[in-house]
Amino acid sequence: METFAYTPSQEQVIAAPLTESMFVSGPPGCGKTSAAVGRLRQIIDQGIPAESILILTPQRSLAAPYARETSRPDLPAGGLPTIVTLGGLAQRTLQLFWPAIAGSSGFRRPDLPPTYLTLETAQYYMAKVAAPLFDRGFFEQLVIDRNRLYSQILDNLNKAAVVGFAHTDISSRLKNAWIGKPEQLIHYEQAQECANLFRSYCLENNLLDFSLQIELFAQQLWPSHLVRQYLSNQYRHLIYDNIEEDVPVAHDMVREWLPAFESSLLTFDQGAGYRAFLGADPADAELLCGYCDQTLEFSQSFVTQPALQELGSAFTSILLSKPEKTVTPRALTAYSFEPSRFYPEMIDWVAAEVARLVQEEQVPPGEIAIVSPFLSDSLRHSLMHRLQGHGVLARSHRPSRSLRDEPAARCLLTLARMAHPLWDLPVATPDLRAALLQTISGIDLVRADLIASMLFSTRDKQAPLNSFDLVKPGMQERITFSIGERFMRLRAWLSRYMEAEPVELDVFLARLFGELLAQPGYGFHDDYEAARVTARLIESVQKFRRATEVTSQASGLSIGQEYLKMVADGVIAAQYLQPVEEEQPDAVLVAPAYSFLMVNQPVRYQFWLDVGSQGWWERLYQPLTHPHVLSRRWQPEKAWTDVDDFSANQETLQRLTGGLIARCREHIYLCAARVNERGSEEKGPLLYGVQSLLRLARGLEAGRV
Amino acid sequence: MKIPANFAFSQNNLQDYVDCPRRFELRYLEKLAWPAIRSEPILAVERHMQLGERFHRMIQQNQSGLPADLIGATASEPELIEWWQAYLSSAPDPLPERRLVEHTLAAPFGSYRLVAKYDLLAITPGERALIVDWKTSLRKPKRQILSSRIQTRLYPFLLTEAGKSLNNGIAFKPEQIELIYWFTADPRNPEHFPYSSNQYEEDRSYLQNLIADAVNASDTNFPLTGDERMCRYCNFRSLCDRGEGAGEMETDSLAEESSESSGYDLDFEQISEIAF
Ligand code: SF4
Repeated sequence: METFAYTPSQEQVIAAPLTESMFVSGPPGCGKTSAAVGRLRQIIDQGIPAESILILTPQRSLAAPYARETSRPDLPAGGLPTIVTLGGLAQRTLQLFWPAIAGSSGFRRPDLPPTYLTLETAQYYMAKVAAPLFDRGFFEQLVIDRNRLYSQILDNLNKAAVVGFAHTDISSRLKNAWIGKPEQLIHYEQAQECANLFRSYCLENNLLDFSLQIELFAQQLWPSHLVRQYLSNQYRHLIYDNIEEDVPVAHDMVREWLPAFESSLLTFDQGAGYRAFLGADPADAELLCGYCDQTLEFSQSFVTQPALQELGSAFTSILLSKPEKTVTPRALTAYSFEPSRFYPEMIDWVAAEVARLVQEEQVPPGEIAIVSPFLSDSLRHSLMHRLQGHGVLARSHRPSRSLRDEPAARCLLTLARMAHPLWDLPVATPDLRAALLQTISGIDLVRADLIASMLFSTRDKQAPLNSFDLVKPGMQERITFSIGERFMRLRAWLSRYMEAEPVELDVFLARLFGELLAQPGYGFHDDYEAARVTARLIESVQKFRRATEVTSQASGLSIGQEYLKMVADGVIAAQYLQPVEEEQPDAVLVAPAYSFLMVNQPVRYQFWLDVGSQGWWERLYQPLTHPHVLSRRWQPEKAWTDVDDFSANQETLQRLTGGLIARCREHIYLCAARVNERGSEEKGPLLYGVQSLLRLARGLEAGRV
Repeated sequence: MKIPANFAFSQNNLQDYVDCPRRFELRYLEKLAWPAIRSEPILAVERHMQLGERFHRMIQQNQSGLPADLIGATASEPELIEWWQAYLSSAPDPLPERRLVEHTLAAPFGSYRLVAKYDLLAITPGERALIVDWKTSLRKPKRQILSSRIQTRLYPFLLTEAGKSLNNGIAFKPEQIELIYWFTADPRNPEHFPYSSNQYEEDRSYLQNLIADAVNASDTNFPLTGDERMCRYCNFRSLCDRGEGAGEMETDSLAEESSESSGYDLDFEQISEIAF
């Protein structure tokens, strides 16, 4: 166990009898999770079988402290607790009890095992089902990428499942709340039709997307006596952390389950609920308090200094337009405002200041976070590049990355297209040049360009690469014979492949990697990052193949061809979820603000980028969905007005800034650029808030506050 | 590379260490994704593995109380039907009353931990504990090979060390434990490995030495295996400059003896263990 001293309140939680249900609330950073981890250890140390403990968190990253504790070498011998999210519990239980419920759940083939869909494969099937409707004119008036509409329709289904209303009620909820132009009502109806069709398609083909998994779990499995008994026998003690970030059906289940546990501990982060856009419902979570024997409130933050706490209060009073707006002299020491004229200037300044902190003030890089509302590829790249230039170690955390943007993946997909001429997905000369640059060790842009322009034929699809022997000796010498020899091996590998029966795309990629690209003399041989990207791509193709095998016959396309087509159309971005790193390297974290909050690791210094951006305040434009209207808090007959919109955004901003401040130990840099990333001037509400703060500060200095 | 303080030694990683120390380092310490094919024909290997997974799940369903006919109806592949029939007619029987399926046990061991996930533990508290492991390999390996596998040593040893809470708070005596390998390839002839105090002591010092050896290597270096046949079924062969194509699973018994892993470098067992 950690050797730090617990506070009396924490001790109370840790040592509470194993017969109690406890509800512990408090602001972020006041030691609730530490107490819960301490209690976990205490339960195990008392000889309770660890496998009888269920640890439930709303998101995997929030479970990291428990995973760390249960992997400590001094944990007593025995079983291990189950650490799981609602989605994970639903999937495990479904896998086990599928034969018992498949017959009564409307599936056409209950005798066959189901296929679990990932985000990507669900998006693929949504496209398959909805594309004909789009072609018939659905959503004609919406000027927005079709793929974003697909994901909003899926999001609606997920919301219905996690909030706990029928998926057939989505459009009526959205329509009732709508008071704008009447055309929008038709879009809601069309979105409903797509959702209904998708659900029928899933039932027809034994496909389980996230929404159906949750629905089956909540409506079929959880009420079943057999399942309830199985779960109750298995788990006798519950630790449910960050309940405010979880969804109402999880709260419903826990509320019913609580009396069956011998002991339970629920922790609630006041002022949080950052996952509201994913259906999290803090108000619903707080109701669980009434079902626990004991309620405790922690108040003292172990993270933030008084100066930062006072800064947080000042921001709250400004953003929530409280009549009384004050700032204390101490709060002024907790932040600095750093305006720049242009965006790149701001990035330069941030990188230089981070370097100064690390190099001159010996701040460990892991104690610094740079956050922004969104993290575009270009922003991530320029920040990482500049930090690297200063010799500062940095890591970026994004919930997902698109493989299409990785040069190694693009190279593999180019070679795949070239090796499958019947797929009719042409390769252009620049694609091959880029692929050669990745593939052949020691090649440079000029040589790659020479080879691509001299030896690549876009016309001869059966033999697209010509022999290096055809190049004039002088030119061969310029390109070098070793590069020529490597090129010839690549050519030979591809022609051998093309002469034989084609194989599945993932098998092709794995063979290409192992037999050629990762061999000595080729670019992937000692490039671990390229290998990692290749592994992710193969995994993505493989999951796609497995999820579509059952339904692929109809399209007439091979699965690999379909995959490449879907990637090209942007239906699937070959995205992968970043694994949660257990060991955080000592590196500056560059992350979207919400991801930083969900990692839940306080730092000494924070840099808030582009505080003028509307992104800090405004929801993404999502014409087919609405997180508030589809929440359990919403009264179905109410209309969503501009006033609602404004106050929801304002509340979101307050929650976000409050959450960030609560995870900062020393100082916040508020960085602004007059001209934003896209070249326009932007003055969002956070900037207005900052300006109000500055005015209060000036007033204070002048003795007026 | 150093072995982290919270590292858990399992049958998979220890077997890899025995087969090739460098593979252990690459796979578990560096956690290097190296997505080359381990064994061919890959799609047949993959299918076999998936059927194996489903078979394990069917047993789990059955041991958790679902009726056999309901479970059997979800199998349509001939192999799976055959395995299921074999399980119903020839699975070890009678088994002690208390059943724990896919159960994980862990225990401190020196400065590290040992961990194992058991297919089935069948226990009569105070009397005996059976470890049943369902094997779906194409052929039944020779007993001699099975007895040299890390699993055969680790599973009963760890149950002795960590099974107290399954036995009314008293550690099992080695003599109360038995390991049974049951084979779809030869369902009527399972291999029984009764445990003993002598074997327990032998296993303790074997595992201690093996781990000490790995810790030593982590201070110096992890050598490449001297048995290059191992490399035929290893995804790192291009990195180690030990060949290009993967070995054939069906034609080479070494493949089955040395590894039960998937044809890809995507470890399904690990994925399902950590699934949230
Ligand atoms: S290729 Fe051979 S030497 Fe290299 S890690 Fe694999 S088994 Fe070891």
